[in-house]
Amino acid sequence: MFCIVAFVVLSILGIFSATNRQLAREALDCVLRRVTFRPCTTGFDEKMKAKILGKVINYSQPVARFLNQYFEALAWTFFLLFLASSIFAVRGLYLFYTTGSCNGLNQAGFCVFDPTGANNQISAAVESCSVTPRTASNLTLNGVDMSSFPVLNPDSKDKIVFIGCYDCAYTRETYPIIMSLARHYNASVTFLHYPVKESTDYMSKVSYCAYQQDPSKYWAMNDAFFDTDKATMDSSGFVKTTLTDLGYDYATFQVCMNDPATEKAVQNQLAQIDKTNFYGTPTVSIDGEWFVGPKPYRVYAIGLAGLLYWLK
Amino acid sequence: MDLKRIRQDFPILRDSAEHKPYVYFDNACQSLRPQVVIDAIQDYYVKMSACSGRSMHQLAAAVTQGCDQARSKVAKFLNVAKKEEVIFTRNTTEGINLVANSLELHAGDVVLISDKEHNSNLIPWQLQAKRRGIVVRIIPSQVDNTFDLDAFSRLLDAKVRLVSLGFTSNLDGVTIPAAEVVKRAHKNGSLVLLDAAQTTLHQRIDVKSLDVDFLALSGHKMLGPSGTGVLYGKYRLLEQLQPFMVGGETVASSTYESCEFLPLPERLEAGLQDYAGIMGLGAAAQYLQGMGFDTIQKQERLLNETITEGILKIHGLKLIGPQDAKLRGSIATFYFDDVDSHRVALMLDQMDAIMVRSGQHCVHSWFNAHQLKGSVRASLAFYNTEEEAARFVDNLNKIRKVL
Repeated sequence: MFCIVAFVVLSILGIFSATNRQLAREALDCVLRRVTFRPCTTGFDEKMKAKILGKVINYSQPVARFLNQYFEALAWTFFLLFLASSIFAVRGLYLFYTTGSCNGLNQAGFCVFDPTGANNQISAAVESCSVTPRTASNLTLNGVDMSSFPVLNPDSKDKIVFIGCYDCAYTRETYPIIMSLARHYNASVTFLHYPVKESTDYMSKVSYCAYQQDPSKYWAMNDAFFDTDKATMDSSGFVKTTLTDLGYDYATFQVCMNDPATEKAVQNQLAQIDKTNFYGTPTVSIDGEWFVGPKPYRVYAIGLAGLLYWLK
Repeated sequence: MDLKRIRQDFPILRDSAEHKPYVYFDNACQSLRPQVVIDAIQDYYVKMSACSGRSMHQLAAAVTQGCDQARSKVAKFLNVAKKEEVIFTRNTTEGINLVANSLELHAGDVVLISDKEHNSNLIPWQLQAKRRGIVVRIIPSQVDNTFDLDAFSRLLDAKVRLVSLGFTSNLDGVTIPAAEVVKRAHKNGSLVLLDAAQTTLHQRIDVKSLDVDFLALSGHKMLGPSGTGVLYGKYRLLEQLQPFMVGGETVASSTYESCEFLPLPERLEAGLQDYAGIMGLGAAAQYLQGMGFDTIQKQERLLNETITEGILKIHGLKLIGPQDAKLRGSIATFYFDDVDSHRVALMLDQMDAIMVRSGQHCVHSWFNAHQLKGSVRASLAFYNTEEEAARFVDNLNKIRKVL
């Protein structure tokens, strides 16, 4: 058992030292013998044991005696720990690859591959009174009326529902990924704008009115909004310039913006979004599976097309 | 004996910030080299670096002279009658093989060896037994592993053509009564070959007074370069040897059908020689002779007595060979029934940079006969100190307490 642990440790150390590389080779030879049920005749384990004891004995004879007496048991313990940690490491790697976190989808615990937790960051929504706790497991589309929200490729069998806000950094990070994915896989995208920041409350109306006036130009407008610097978006002339450039009738748009029915419709939209139990943006549902926070492209792609998404 | 000054002659023993001071107790394997030997080797490559003999230019002349001087130094070291009796080889093994393959031996001829010969003085005779039908007889040692003269005499008969013995055993450091062995063998009409690999560093060898017929030694065990050695032989006997390695440097002339061999020593030194090594070996012989063997033996005996006294108190330690350190020259070989010898050697190295040999020391036959897996061998040289001997005993004690 000692050979296996030693092989792994020495292989890593061997990256930096030729001596350890040679020892790693000896350990490998020993491992190969052990796994084929042959005795390890290289003397590797004996050599390493002597080396370890030789070092330890200078510091503490009782510890050296203990090591000598229980060397095999300790080797087994380390092997089992190594095995367990290897399983967890492989699991963590797999989860990171498929969900963007070593701990699983939308789990915010520490992950060595994403130490800052960037893949789980959200722009938190203001909590509303709700009997259902706002957690990833409680996210739902049941009972949510999405008929008034903008939708791209409505007839596609793959459904993406994207809750985001124009002014939120993480949504802005995710938006191009989702759109690229939708275009590549011809998936349906429903965009649910939720203004996390009060200063962009009016953008819900903008989104609603623009879609009502001309759905065909809506996604170009969305692209422009997400492509524009946030500071620019706050300026008063920004919406007018963008819509005018895209060929919208700005006068008609203004009428819509001032219509009390628009306010009512937008409030209804926000209420529908609230029914999803979401708690921050971006929140994305791909065929019923929820992704909270800005995930890498591969995570959304796996959600949409499976592990072998790159073949499709 | 000014040990401090002597140790300064050995670059590897000088203080270094890079490592702990070495305790080199593996001298039976290879001795360390003094600066004069290193200088002699370097001189060849820096100042000569050419062929000996065959070329006529001044560099070749310098090499020829250098090698000739080295031969003279070795001849003086062994008290050889004629320097042509010194044949340069690569090591003791080659010297013994040269005799084994070149001496006229017939089927049924007996070669006597002891029961604790190094493989170098066992395998060549086993091979001749298969090839030429000679008979190899083993002289059993006494219970304490010293040479049994009576057993030797009992085995001497008319069929014994050659007695080939280790002068000093690399297993336990015991030196045989060589003069008496030679005397009895000659009386029987047998030749004597001595493997002096383990003797040259520790005792004066006088081949003339020993009257030995052949004697092989290694340079690397007597402060000289590795890859060098000497076969001494009485001139008339060397002349009778049929060269088994031939080719360049061994002949004066050749036709497509035959050749005319050169006289000794060239006829037995086939191929281009290790000139740098030969010069280094000459320097080593001169250095050792300058040291004086009385001083060397006194120092080594003192060290071995210190070690023997210390280790005999260690629980479970079994010494190989006689308990009396004086009979074991510069070697203390031991084992524990319950501890692997390699582990002990490795731990000594790790703990305090103490370098010893572990295993069967190329005397597998003896270990197999005694059903022992191996042993630890501390082999000393005159440049070792009492402080080192104490460090060795102290660390061995610690190991025993832990293992």
